[in-house]
Amino acid sequence: MQSQKGSPVAQMNTADVVPAQVSSYDQPINAYDEAFKENRQPRPHWEHLLKSVRALGDEEMLNKQRRAQRILREDGATYNLTSDPLTPSVWSLDLIPNVIHHQEWQAIEKGLVQRSTLFDLILKDLYGPQELLKNGIIPSEIIFSHPGFLRQCHEVFVPGPHQLLLHAVDMVRDNTGQFQIIGDRTQAPSGAGYSLENRTVVSRVIPSIFRDSQVHRLSHFFQTLKGMLSKLASGWTDTPRIVLLSPGAMSSTYFEQAYLANYLGFPLVQGSDLTVRNGAVWMKSLNGLARVDVILRRVEDAYCDQAELRTDSYLGVPGLLEVARAGNVAIANPLGSGILEAPALLKFLPAISQFLTSETLALPSVATWWCGDSEDLNYVLANINQLIIKPAIRRHNSNSVYGHTLTDEAKANTIEMIKKQPHLYVAQSYVPGSMSPIWREGKLQARPSLLRAFTVADDDSFAVMPGGLSRVGDTSKESIVSNLSESQSKDTWVLSNQPEVPKSFVADTLLQDEALQTNLPSRVVENLFWMGRYAERAEISMRLLRTLFKQMNGIDPLPEDSLRILLETVSTQTECLPGFIDADAALLANPDEELVAIITDATRPGSIKANLHAMLSCGEQVKEMLSADTRIIINELRDHIHDLDRAYINGLPPAPEESLDSLVTSLLALSGLNHESMLRGLDWTFQEIGRRTERALQTAKLLRSSLTKPLPGAQQKQILESVLLSVEALISFRRRYRNRSRVAYGLDLLMIDGSNPRSLLYQVEQLRKYMKELPRNDVPTAGLSPENRLIIKSLNDIQLADLEALSQVDESSQTRLALEQLMTQLLEQLEQFTALISDKYFDHTERPQPLIKNNWEANL
Amino acid sequence: MRYRVRHITEYSYGAPVSLCYNMAHLLPRDTRNQRCLNHKIQINPPPVYQNEGQDYFGNQTFYFSIQEAHKKLVIDVTSDFEITPLDALQWQAKSSLTCGELRAMLNAPNTPDLHMAKEYLLDSPQIRRSQALKDYAQATFTDDQPLLSAALAFTHKIFTEFKFDPDTTTVATPLEQVLEQRSGVCQDFAHLAIGCLRSVGIPARYMSGYLETLPPPGQEKLVGADASHAWFAVFVPELGWVEFDPTNDIMPSDQHIVTAWGRDYADVTPLQGVIFEGGGSQQLAVSVDVQRR
Repeated sequence: MQSQKGSPVAQMNTADVVPAQVSSYDQPINAYDEAFKENRQPRPHWEHLLKSVRALGDEEMLNKQRRAQRILREDGATYNLTSDPLTPSVWSLDLIPNVIHHQEWQAIEKGLVQRSTLFDLILKDLYGPQELLKNGIIPSEIIFSHPGFLRQCHEVFVPGPHQLLLHAVDMVRDNTGQFQIIGDRTQAPSGAGYSLENRTVVSRVIPSIFRDSQVHRLSHFFQTLKGMLSKLASGWTDTPRIVLLSPGAMSSTYFEQAYLANYLGFPLVQGSDLTVRNGAVWMKSLNGLARVDVILRRVEDAYCDQAELRTDSYLGVPGLLEVARAGNVAIANPLGSGILEAPALLKFLPAISQFLTSETLALPSVATWWCGDSEDLNYVLANINQLIIKPAIRRHNSNSVYGHTLTDEAKANTIEMIKKQPHLYVAQSYVPGSMSPIWREGKLQARPSLLRAFTVADDDSFAVMPGGLSRVGDTSKESIVSNLSESQSKDTWVLSNQPEVPKSFVADTLLQDEALQTNLPSRVVENLFWMGRYAERAEISMRLLRTLFKQMNGIDPLPEDSLRILLETVSTQTECLPGFIDADAALLANPDEELVAIITDATRPGSIKANLHAMLSCGEQVKEMLSADTRIIINELRDHIHDLDRAYINGLPPAPEESLDSLVTSLLALSGLNHESMLRGLDWTFQEIGRRTERALQTAKLLRSSLTKPLPGAQQKQILESVLLSVEALISFRRRYRNRSRVAYGLDLLMIDGSNPRSLLYQVEQLRKYMKELPRNDVPTAGLSPENRLIIKSLNDIQLADLEALSQVDESSQTRLALEQLMTQLLEQLEQFTALISDKYFDHTERPQPLIKNNWEANL
Repeated sequence: MRYRVRHITEYSYGAPVSLCYNMAHLLPRDTRNQRCLNHKIQINPPPVYQNEGQDYFGNQTFYFSIQEAHKKLVIDVTSDFEITPLDALQWQAKSSLTCGELRAMLNAPNTPDLHMAKEYLLDSPQIRRSQALKDYAQATFTDDQPLLSAALAFTHKIFTEFKFDPDTTTVATPLEQVLEQRSGVCQDFAHLAIGCLRSVGIPARYMSGYLETLPPPGQEKLVGADASHAWFAVFVPELGWVEFDPTNDIMPSDQHIVTAWGRDYADVTPLQGVIFEGGGSQQLAVSVDVQRR
């Protein structure tokens, strides 16, 4: 056993070592150490890395670690357990990779291929002849009582030699250094994308160490995955459309799904983006329905089809299973494959392997007991201190119990719980896992680690990702990191004994058609459309509030009439009603509380924060469409929102007009970026249509609420200037009209000046242009389409407006009645326009309802 | 005996349904004494996609999907059968297997049939074992009782102690309530018997089908008066699955026509699936005719 004293790093090269690093790397007794031998010398394959890390020094390592986190944040790499768009948990990565020698890896690889091959055979048997059950190799009740065994999937096979197409294996080393497998993921394994992201970041942050280490590359694995998926549909097409089916932005691994979809070049879709028609699966795109041949899914088995599986699912595609049954779509992994995750199976694997292949398993599974067996039950109850108790049926909320951590009372309760329904529990012997060094607080520290390895079906065998996702526990305390959320991750380096020759790949046979441009799911486009609208809403409200604050805190006190108009304008503009509409004197005298709410109350629809939240949520939904720079700005925006919360914690801050500046700037940067770096595809067009329509609506609303009510000369001027200021037109106005501050001049600039990018005319002219670019997926009709007619009508209404007449005050009502009427008419036309666009291009299918309320009980 | 069965299912919706996907268990299967000679299925409006198949339990399935708006869905199935009588009572004389012996065999299964029979010993979507169910059945299925006569006695027990009353239960009524109120319909009695049998360690499965009803002497049979029927079967190692009908206190011979079997009703629901839009107030009308030929 290793001694507790001394430092491995120190022994390596005493002279260079920073003392802080030394004492901290306490190696726990009774665990294998990945990096150091028992005499605390580094293992040879770690030497280069450790030496290089040391050479970088404290400060540089800290910088690099920070840089890595920054890149992750900019890439949008998150692991979300909450759905709050403001506080995503950034994926956590330790810079020091886990290094595995290639010779050792070869043995692991063989063991993994053998395991995947075996699991594939088990899957085929369970949904086919069931020889394993008939011959008692697996006690049949384990399978029959497991909700993951989907009888509906009986004999529904994907084409090709394999049923299990993707497999993830969690393993730890025991204290002798032997890897033991503690669990499998066989439905929709996650983690491969995070591995790729880890590799990308690490190789960017420590490029020379990476280059010199001759690390096996990951790309081959993903190419194999892509090739395998496209072959699945070879029975009916040479150019398959492959989609990645995601549970949506609420999914904790949504980043990974978006990342993989982009990397592999597949559209990222959700259940409601797909539909089953005429016995096939289709994607609802702007151009109508596009046939889908292969689905790489991240949605769990039972949630995939409301018609035959869980009717209460929000994530599925009704009718999907039947399409798979008829052989008209291939799903990877096939539905029903979750049964292989049953932990009780581990106990029977050696016997299963003998029965199906006459082979002995090269990589052992951790010793496992199934409490449904009376001998096993007795053993488990007697030895609970050394065991981990796991539910036989894995659920989202099910946790493992570590026997050695239990108090006497908790132990008694656990035993009672097991005795009550023994067949629902499995026990595994506790293997704390090997220790791996992480960089923390300027020093190397030992942490228990776990490796998730990945395999993918490849011709007649399986290909293994060289490396995988290493995870380390948060404390050095002995406990296995089983949950993605509570751990830090690491890149895993499998060292090559020779420089790796990049492989050349067969030409991509996947659809390279207009696919990614025009075959976007309509949901994506709808989110972009709304993202544009919310951004515009937030921006205009903020500008208006900024102006209001300036006027309120100006040198001259604001007359009550004017204040009322400005405050009412804020309320109508944000639609935070009633707000200041018909406010009494008390409210007018103390508007602060309401103003704070309009800015920071996210629960109030129309508030600045609510609009920003809505915008960020839309962005999250279409994460895969956003450029790297966009993500940077979105992160800044999130930071600014947090700043805003801090600034407003005790009500209005001292200089409220400045508090919104950085947010406005970020929003401007966002729209600028869209202009400068987004390809002019349909996604761009729809985002622009959203923006332009919203800006036109907001401007019309602003003119109506601020200028309808006439005021005496100086006051009218002040209001007009406020409006001009809030739409950034005051300087142009002064330059053009000097001191002649007439409402008609203001309307000229804000309504019909085609050179002002904030004028009404400009917005509607742009809309007219974009309309020509939209796909015409309807039956050609004679004349203009209704949405085009609305735009041209609005264009004419604006251009033909008699500005002098508009600025006249109506005798009887004492308002600018003509202005109010025109703006109201424009608002109606534009609202109708967005409704038509959304009806025509976006999907409005309601959720399916079950024919008969069927108590589909997943939880037996 | 030859039969012709006509089974018409009619759904009426309050508002038009634009799209539906359905899995039907309405086509008959073959059994050891039943042969389906032919069947015809007609659906209105006509499905754009349909497919016949077999499910996990070997039942015939019919899958269809309709893509045109409809306020009414009609599924009209006609099938012809030939059924040979079973001398079920004679088995009782021959089979001496006791409940205790069966339990011991299931505890240490050594044949494929025994391994596979365990599926019907466990909880299923609509049937859970419980102490109350066990208490109700325990005395009938003691270790020394011959299994078949015990099952027959239990069938008689349900028949005499429960009242047939269609107004007291729905498809979703839990077994505990049925046991409590001592009333229900054939489906409840079948579920109850299965739950009891599983609770005392005997594999039982759900049988779904039709029963020929005969009009009172001198009267003519009414059209559509027959109904879907449900009963249960018990696993007996040397005989296979033996059926019992607690609603009528008999062992089915040649008047029971089988459409499907499974762990419970949920496995063989006549029509399941989803509809899009419309729906609203759904109404279901079913008519069944069983005619001798």
